[in-house]
Amino acid sequence: MTENSDKLPDTEVGERLRIARETAKFTQSAAAEAIDVARTTIVAIEKGQRRIRMDELQKLATIYGTSANAILRQEAVHLDMVPRFRKLPQSGGDAIENAVRLLNDLVRAEVELENALGVKRIRNFPPERPILPGDVRAQAEQDAQELRDWLGLGPGAVLDIVPILEQLGIRVYVRRLDGKVSGLFAYDDAVGACILLNASHPPERFRQTGIHELAHFISARRQPEALTEDEKFSSREERYAGAFAPAFLAPARAVRQRFAEITAGQSHLTRRHIILLAHDFGLAREAIVRRLEDLSLAKSGTWDWFQKNGGITNEQARQVLGELPDRSLHAADARGPVPPRLALLAREAWKRGFYSEGQLARLLHLDRHEMREVLDGAELEESEENELVKLPH
Amino acid sequence: MSSSNFLINPHPVLVADASVVINLNATGCARAIMAALPNRWAVTANARAELIQGMRNGHNDAGALQGLIDARAIDLVTVGEMGGRVYESLIDGSALRTLDDGEAATIAYAYEADGIALIDERKAMSLCASSFPKLPVVSTAELLLHEAVIQALGPEGHIKAVMAALQKARMRVPPAHIARLVTVIGEDAAVSCMSLPRAARAAV
Repeated sequence: MTENSDKLPDTEVGERLRIARETAKFTQSAAAEAIDVARTTIVAIEKGQRRIRMDELQKLATIYGTSANAILRQEAVHLDMVPRFRKLPQSGGDAIENAVRLLNDLVRAEVELENALGVKRIRNFPPERPILPGDVRAQAEQDAQELRDWLGLGPGAVLDIVPILEQLGIRVYVRRLDGKVSGLFAYDDAVGACILLNASHPPERFRQTGIHELAHFISARRQPEALTEDEKFSSREERYAGAFAPAFLAPARAVRQRFAEITAGQSHLTRRHIILLAHDFGLAREAIVRRLEDLSLAKSGTWDWFQKNGGITNEQARQVLGELPDRSLHAADARGPVPPRLALLAREAWKRGFYSEGQLARLLHLDRHEMREVLDGAELEESEENELVKLPH
Repeated sequence: MSSSNFLINPHPVLVADASVVINLNATGCARAIMAALPNRWAVTANARAELIQGMRNGHNDAGALQGLIDARAIDLVTVGEMGGRVYESLIDGSALRTLDDGEAATIAYAYEADGIALIDERKAMSLCASSFPKLPVVSTAELLLHEAVIQALGPEGHIKAVMAALQKARMRVPPAHIARLVTVIGEDAAVSCMSLPRAARAAV
C-alpha cells in the first residue's frame, strides 16, 4: 500500500466540512446527531482541533450530498457563494438555493480541473458601467449598443447567447432547473463571473435571461443576482437589466429598419408583422411588441390589445413562417449536460488518468450515464494524437 | 488476469463497483450472469450510495440493485477495520492518487475479503496494479466473456447482453479484451458502439 504524504491539514478539512455543512443547510446540532457526537465535537472538527474519523466523515459526506474524497482531495476547490445569495431579498425559496448550490459546485469543478491540468481561463471582461443618475432605460439602451459594438456583433439577431457570454470569459452553465428559476449571476474575485441558465425554458426566454444576467455583469458585477419567474423589476438595477436585454437582442436601429421594411405602404400593425419581427430577432412575441412600444413604433397598450382580441397563436405563426427551420430547437439541448469547454477539460483529465469516472461524475453533478456520454470518444481522440495535429503550446 | 482463468477458484467473493452494476443492469439479465458463476457477489454501501445519488434522469440502477439484494443474488457489505486503511489511502490525498468513495470501497472490501474487485475504471485498475498488485481486478467485459456466462446466456442471449451493456450503459472495455469482444458481437455491430475505441469501430 502506498502511503499518501499529501494529506490536508485538519484545519483545512474542518473548513471544508463547515462549507459542505452550510451548503447542505445542516446545523451543527443536526450534524452532531447524525454521527452521534456532541455539538462541541463538530465545532472542534470544523476548527481543526480534532481530526474527523473515517466513519464519521463517510456519514457526514453522505448527508451533505458529497463524498469523503471530495472533502479530502487535495485539489478540491472550496468556494462558498451560497451565503451571498441568501442575503438577497427574493432568495428564500429552495429552488433558488438549489440552483445556487449547483452553480457553486459547477464553478468549483471547472476551477479544480483547470488547476489539475494547469490551464488558466482567459478573461475578456468589458469595463464595468455602474448605473448613473437619470433614466436607467436610456443608459441600458446605450450600454447595450456599445457592448454590441465592442463585441463586433453588427446589427443582426443573436440567436445563441452562450458563445457570446463565453467569449467575454464568463463561466456559463446550462442545466434544467426548477421552472421558477430563470438564471443566476455571481462574481467572485478568484473565479470571475459565472452564470447558470435554465435549459428548460423556451429559447426566447432563455436568451432574455442570459442577457439579463449579462446586464448585471455590466452594471453591478459584484452583486449576485437570481432571476425568477415572477420577478418584479422594482430596483434600478433590475429595471436596467430588464431594459438591457431587449435593447441588446433587438437593437433600436435594426428594429426600426426591419419594421420600416415590412410595414411599408401598410396602414395597421398586424399579427403577421409581429410574427415576422419576433422571428427575425429571436424574441418572444410579447417581447418584440413591448420593444416596439418602447421605441414608439407601436402605441402603448398594443400587446394588451392583441391579447384581448384573441392573442397570437402558434398556428398563426406557422401559417406566416411556413415550414422554416424550427429555431425553437434549443441550442442548450444540443450542447449536452456540460458546457463544451468543461467537457473537454473533464475528458482530458480522464484521459491522463488524473480523475476517475466516479470522481468526475461527482465533481460535475452528473450520473454515471451522463458522465459516460461526456467521456465517449475520448479514446477516439487518443488515436488521433499525431505529431501533425499537435497543438503549439 | 485473463477471462479464461480468473474464476478457477469459486471461493473469492466478487465485489462489484457501481460501474459494473450499471453495466450488468443494462444487459437485462444481471441475475442470470451472476448465477452463472459459483462465487458469492457483494456490493459496498458506498457503491450503492453512488447509484442512489444518480437516480435522476430515469436511470434506476439503484432500484435494480435493490432487487438483486432482496433476491439475495448480491450481498450489501461495508468495509471493515482492515479494509478501512486501504479505503482511507484511496480517498485521502491528491486527485492523481485517489478515487471516489464507491470505487475506493470496492477495492478496500475486495482486499479485506481476499476477493476479486470488479472494476471498469482504468485509473482504479492502474492504482490497484501499483498499490495492491496481488488483488485480482476484473472488468465487466472480462466477466461477460467468461465461458460460464456465455453458456448460461446461450449464443444469442450472450450477444444481446454484450450489445446492451455497450449501447445502453456505454460500457468501457479494457484494450486487452476489445478484439475478443468485437469477435463476439461482430464488426458491423461494433460500429454502433460509441464507447468502443475508434480502431474497433472502424474495422468495417
